[in-house]
Amino acid sequence: MTDALALLWLPFLVALCLTGIHTYLGQQVLARNIIFVDLALAQIAALGATVAFMLGHPVSSVGSYAYSAGFTLLAGMLLAATRNWSGRIPQEALIGVIYVVAAAAAFLLVEKAPQGTEHIKQILTGNILTTGADDLIAVVPLYLVIGGLLWMARARLAEPGAGWRGWLWDFLFYACFGLVVTSSVALAGVLLVFSFLIIPAAIGVLYADGVGRQLLLGWSVGVAASLVGLIVSYAFDLPTGSAMVCVFGAALALAGALRPIVTGGGERLEQLARATRIVVAVVFLASGAWVMIAPRADQPLLDSVEYAVPGLRTVYMDGRELEVYRDADSYAQRYRREAERLNEKEATSRWQGRALDDIEVRRISSFLQSYSEMRKGEEFVKQEVRNRARERIRWVLGPALIALGLLCVPWQRSRRRHAQRAESDRDV
Amino acid sequence: MIRNHASRVLLACALCLAPAGAVTASERMRIVATTTDLKSLAEAIGGERVSVVNIVPPNVDAEEYQPKPQDLSRLKETQLVLRVGVDYDLWMDRLIAQAKRPELRRGGAAYVDCSFAIALLDVRGAQVGPAGGHAHGSGNPHYWLDPQNAEIITGTLLEALARNDPANAKSYDSRRQAFLKRLAAKIAEWERKLAAARGQPLIAHHNSWAYLARRFRLNFAGHIEPRPGIPPSPSHLAGLIALMRSQNIKVIVRQPHEPAKNADFLSGKTGAKVVLLVASVGAVPQATDYLSLFDYNVDALLAAHGR
Repeated sequence: MTDALALLWLPFLVALCLTGIHTYLGQQVLARNIIFVDLALAQIAALGATVAFMLGHPVSSVGSYAYSAGFTLLAGMLLAATRNWSGRIPQEALIGVIYVVAAAAAFLLVEKAPQGTEHIKQILTGNILTTGADDLIAVVPLYLVIGGLLWMARARLAEPGAGWRGWLWDFLFYACFGLVVTSSVALAGVLLVFSFLIIPAAIGVLYADGVGRQLLLGWSVGVAASLVGLIVSYAFDLPTGSAMVCVFGAALALAGALRPIVTGGGERLEQLARATRIVVAVVFLASGAWVMIAPRADQPLLDSVEYAVPGLRTVYMDGRELEVYRDADSYAQRYRREAERLNEKEATSRWQGRALDDIEVRRISSFLQSYSEMRKGEEFVKQEVRNRARERIRWVLGPALIALGLLCVPWQRSRRRHAQRAESDRDV
Repeated sequence: MIRNHASRVLLACALCLAPAGAVTASERMRIVATTTDLKSLAEAIGGERVSVVNIVPPNVDAEEYQPKPQDLSRLKETQLVLRVGVDYDLWMDRLIAQAKRPELRRGGAAYVDCSFAIALLDVRGAQVGPAGGHAHGSGNPHYWLDPQNAEIITGTLLEALARNDPANAKSYDSRRQAFLKRLAAKIAEWERKLAAARGQPLIAHHNSWAYLARRFRLNFAGHIEPRPGIPPSPSHLAGLIALMRSQNIKVIVRQPHEPAKNADFLSGKTGAKVVLLVASVGAVPQATDYLSLFDYNVDALLAAHGR
């Protein structure tokens, strides 16, 4: 537990800072309908860093940051100038083009300097887990200044007006946005920054009215999701960035699903219930049909239920099948253990005790390969037994699943309509 | 008189050829090797009779290399293809198929899989747990990092060169013998130097050093990225930090193309030193050929252990 705390408190602080500034920027981005602008600007920043690298500035030097910022500002000018450039094509199209071209150009440049590949990958994936305190100290003043600036200019930013003044306000927004994104993407990577930008702001907009309340709600959601993401990543041994992105996504899904319940409205709630029942019904009906058509194929529903409750096997396998299945399972595990033991022995012998000669290493390798093949054989037996059992019971299982599916179909509405129609007929 | 004239012409011709060192560029055997390490070994045996180009530049992860159009044109002209095998340069199969030359295919006369007869480590088959972690079921592909394996690799190369250029087989053989002699002396020197680091625990970014570890009895106690390309989870890092503290691990090994952030993070938490080792010739300027590759790595390891 103390290990977890020692490792996670700094990433959590980073997540707090990222939530703070990005939820606010996210509201602007949602309002302006320029969802993917952060990807485009981050990629432009990466292109700038690559150019700096090609010109001999070391990674994360002042020169490298200057080039990133310069490129981002240029892109900001372009974006500000093209807000309503044709009136026929949405600006989002241009943003997409900027992203793609910047990414391709960076790769073309990196072709000439192979060491840069890892650098570009780093900018795009980031790793919030191994962020240092000095990285954080470097970005906090920037976030504060830019956050303050944007807050003071919020009225003008919302209504930039026309002409060169409008362009200037737009440019101010893109420049601030670009500077924030450039530094935050270097900390956490594009995927996570995109989640910080869009998801808390979107949940705020879903549930609250008024910029202030939306912001407060967005911040709370962002902090909670970050905390859950970090804990999930620690508890389930998962890469932190990806785990956090998935938790943010789940938060949005949950918020979307709960909205009818929270905002009241019996009608909406009923719709939600109907939709859920339809989905469940379709899953049951399809699974029932699929097990009758192709009992030996993958059965996603049955497989996942069996994975969650292995005891179910005793229900549908007969005694002989169960015996073969358990036998194969125990052999498979034994082979795995034996292989692990041999691997361990060989790895230890590299530095400890007597060194193994080539012949002994080869013998171990061929044992390992045999164990692996034998284990695959046992896994095949398990699968075959299960498939045969399913094949045997398919005419019971399939119709049962279909019956379950039919039970889930929401007939009530149409029945009520029947009743209503009958009532109106009677009235007539 | 006529005879005299003819002999003069012959003499003139002989004089013209002699300074060129007996081999002109057009007479050299053209060879394509996937990595700089195989290139260096092929040059050690072929000398000036071969002209070798590598496909993957040093400091690029060969397992993620994306072939370029020039690679295909190189394959169309080459007389011999050398590859690492063991799933290390899988993209080569597609490239060879595109070259449309049957002799370059697996088993063809011009195809050389240098992993032939090597005693592979970390053979796991499929899914025997990612514990020591490589993406490869067929074994750890970094076998050239055991200098003793160069004897087997050059044996394979000698056979291929002699088969394709029988006239010069003797010269290839004697060059190989000379190389092996130098290699044996060097291995003795490296073993002597690294005796100080024997068994001292290390952390590596990725499991690239199994063969080096086996030859010089180095103890790689853990890896930062057990699954290549997937960033480490917090619990994995916490485990590593605990391991580094309990075993007093003072050295973290990283390659120049591997990300610095994670290694620096662990170094900051535990005070261990990060040392750059290279797995390929040319990845640092000092590693100009196969032997200097080990010279560099041995010295870097010794410096990291503070000897």
